[in-house]
Amino acid sequence: MQQLLNGVFLGSIYALFAIGFTLVFGILDRLNLAHPAVFAAAAFIGIELVTLGGVSIWLAIPLVAGIGALLGLVIERVAFRPLRGRPDAHFAGLISSIGLAGMIIALLLWRYGPDTRRFPADAFPATTFEVAGARVTLLQVAILAISILLMVGLTWLVARTRLGRAMRAVAENPRAATVLGIDVDRVTATTFALSSALGAVAGALFAMNVNSAQLGMGAAIELKGLAVIIVGGMGSLPGALVGGLLLGLAEVFAVQYIGSSWRDLVAFGMLFLLLVVRPQGLFGSRRVREV
Amino acid sequence: MSQAVLVFVALNAILAFSFYAVLVAGQLSLGQAGFGALGAFTAVALAPEPSEVGDVPALLVAILIGMVVGALAAVLLGLPTMHLRGVFLAIATLGFAEAVRILLINAEWTGGANGMSVPKVVTPLIAWVALAVVAYWFWRQGPSSYGRALAAIREDELAARAMGIDVGRHRLSAFVTAGAVAGLYGVLWAYFVRLLAPEDFDFTRAIDGLVTAVVGGSTMWLGPLLGSGFLTLVPEVQRALGVEAGWIRPFIASALLLVVIVFLPGGLGSFLPRVRVRARPTASGAGTDRPGLVARTHAAAGEPVVRIVGGNKDYGGVHAVRDVDLTVGSGEVVGLIGPNGAGKTTLVNMISGLVPASSGTFEVLGTRPGRTPVHRIARAGVSRTFQHSKLFPRLTALENVLVGAHVVSRPTFLRRLLWLPGARRDEAVVVDHAAGCLARVGLADRSSVDASALSYGDQRRLEIARALASDPSLLILDEPAAGMNNVEADALSELIASLADEGLTILLIEHNVGMVMKTCHRIVVLNFGEVIATGTPEEILKNPAVVEAYLGSDGDSPPGTPHTQEAR
Repeated sequence: MQQLLNGVFLGSIYALFAIGFTLVFGILDRLNLAHPAVFAAAAFIGIELVTLGGVSIWLAIPLVAGIGALLGLVIERVAFRPLRGRPDAHFAGLISSIGLAGMIIALLLWRYGPDTRRFPADAFPATTFEVAGARVTLLQVAILAISILLMVGLTWLVARTRLGRAMRAVAENPRAATVLGIDVDRVTATTFALSSALGAVAGALFAMNVNSAQLGMGAAIELKGLAVIIVGGMGSLPGALVGGLLLGLAEVFAVQYIGSSWRDLVAFGMLFLLLVVRPQGLFGSRRVREV
Repeated sequence: MSQAVLVFVALNAILAFSFYAVLVAGQLSLGQAGFGALGAFTAVALAPEPSEVGDVPALLVAILIGMVVGALAAVLLGLPTMHLRGVFLAIATLGFAEAVRILLINAEWTGGANGMSVPKVVTPLIAWVALAVVAYWFWRQGPSSYGRALAAIREDELAARAMGIDVGRHRLSAFVTAGAVAGLYGVLWAYFVRLLAPEDFDFTRAIDGLVTAVVGGSTMWLGPLLGSGFLTLVPEVQRALGVEAGWIRPFIASALLLVVIVFLPGGLGSFLPRVRVRARPTASGAGTDRPGLVARTHAAAGEPVVRIVGGNKDYGGVHAVRDVDLTVGSGEVVGLIGPNGAGKTTLVNMISGLVPASSGTFEVLGTRPGRTPVHRIARAGVSRTFQHSKLFPRLTALENVLVGAHVVSRPTFLRRLLWLPGARRDEAVVVDHAAGCLARVGLADRSSVDASALSYGDQRRLEIARALASDPSLLILDEPAAGMNNVEADALSELIASLADEGLTILLIEHNVGMVMKTCHRIVVLNFGEVIATGTPEEILKNPAVVEAYLGSDGDSPPGTPHTQEAR
């Protein structure tokens, strides 16, 4: 039971990270590899806000989300917008976002140094609960609640609001969307802001969960995020949620039953098999190719 | 510059070439780190000790093992993943590479995470010789018929298939090349760094290789070397200039990466002049005497070229084509007309094999479209243009036509590697043939212009030249006159008539009814997916069902009025 819950907590952070990843992919058909850098930046900034600014961790989360959104706007403006209309925009976007990610990480190195950072010891509430014999901290419950709340909110936003409709229109056909009076640039920028805000919150929550932040934390989760969005189906929001939870559970149980050195093999082996058998993922729909 | 830097420039360039090998075919694979790791570990485990047989022999054996293992791994990974595209392929191959790395860490024979110790054999000279061989390979590959086929797949896979290119086989061979080059990289790396660890072949390494290839330019054979020189030297230059270590160096390196990719679309390679194939001024045109081309004989006049019985195509609940029976005899020019959405394009898509029929019998030049792969149908002599131009935008007009000649030209790559004179001769023949096709549609003076830079009308004509280059028996033209003025359309009519005189069978979809009436022997009218009339132009003009389909029952203008094009 304890393992199950740990898997769910971990998985919900993966899902939150992946959902931002997949949002940009689903709507703009681009992989934003600066997303993991936002994840890492948010963790460091969150710790600084709490440590130096004396902000409570509850307030730090919306602040971090705001900073993430700003970073998202920068990423879109600098690394993606200049590439529009290029035949190799797919590859070029990967590379330009890697470049920008390198710059962000270098800035983090300048500001925070190469060492691991932690939240101050008294930043977390000490409340714990007993759930079916397993011990759960208030923080873990909060992580789960915040993740689910944000994911449900995002799904609602995409499915029900005017902005969400515009996003789906852009995903379907940017040119037609322009003709229909949708400001594609603005929708694109908003998508990046939302995506990065989610990635930032995921970074802050991840740092709280393990109480540490490292420069390499983004790179470590990057592969897992890719695995999650593939398993869930590229661009599928519920898919990213389910995929994230599955990966969290698979990791926790793989460590327990197979051994930690094989943990990642399970994930990637499954990923590979799934891609070969069902490339559109569990929840994705195959795009029809036009002749 | 230290020896190590020299070696790393060469090794990084070789790694980048293994990405270049698939990028030229438009594939994004991240599995190279896995191929390299498998190659390196197997080679080190199996190759003889340099202390026993000498440095160079031991290294050569190791390289051979490494390249074979890398290529085999590429086949094993390539076969099940060939149907994946773009990011999906990238992530599947990445998953493979990560799985390989974890397997190697957990295996006994590799020394686990500690790795294997390897004698240092590779010198700057050896590394640069290896690099020169790899670069030579890709230099010779570029302008060969194989290299052009890969470029065509990168630019437009579907059009490449319709030109008779076996996309699966070409993609797999590009993949295997990547595997072999990655294996070479792995072995050289192992015999240089002394300690071979699985961590040397992780995700970051794969990304580094990709970045190097793209920064250098993924469509130019020197690109990987330029990229490697640039990315390896940037930190060195910074050190020499006294830029402090710490955050500034990675910041500047990343910023430069961003600047290069945003402001130099072709990578650093775009600084170099692009070598374009040129037509010889003495080109004799598309004559009948073409010793270097595969000859094709058309079916005897009147023999059925296309035979459709009960052809149907449903999209969900929409019947795009319903119970169509159609036979086209050799040498006939058949016009296919009908209002927008009548199913004309769907019908020719089924004839050329791009779209499988829902039911019905299709026989085209002895092939069974829908079951026979598209490239074999093209090989049998079916060639086509597309309603919305599907040219290869970054290739020149002449190169587009050369791709069209794929099925009639002889492979030249292996002979080009050995500088055999026959290759040059065959290339010249194909280039002459292609130049002749361009001249036929009136584009002789535009041959070295990129297809994307041509005007709309010229693009339509280029598509026809490309289709002609395969020396087809059946030519399918899907709205070729769209966007042409009357003079141009008249010239096109004359071209079609002269092709018919040569014995080609032509299926023409066109909204310019006047042109269809003038050009075709027989006209088939489709409406709502059904054939509503067939007959000579005169019969069609008088047919009340046709008039109604075009103009509605109370129309008052004659059906000869050219139909307005929908703008796209």
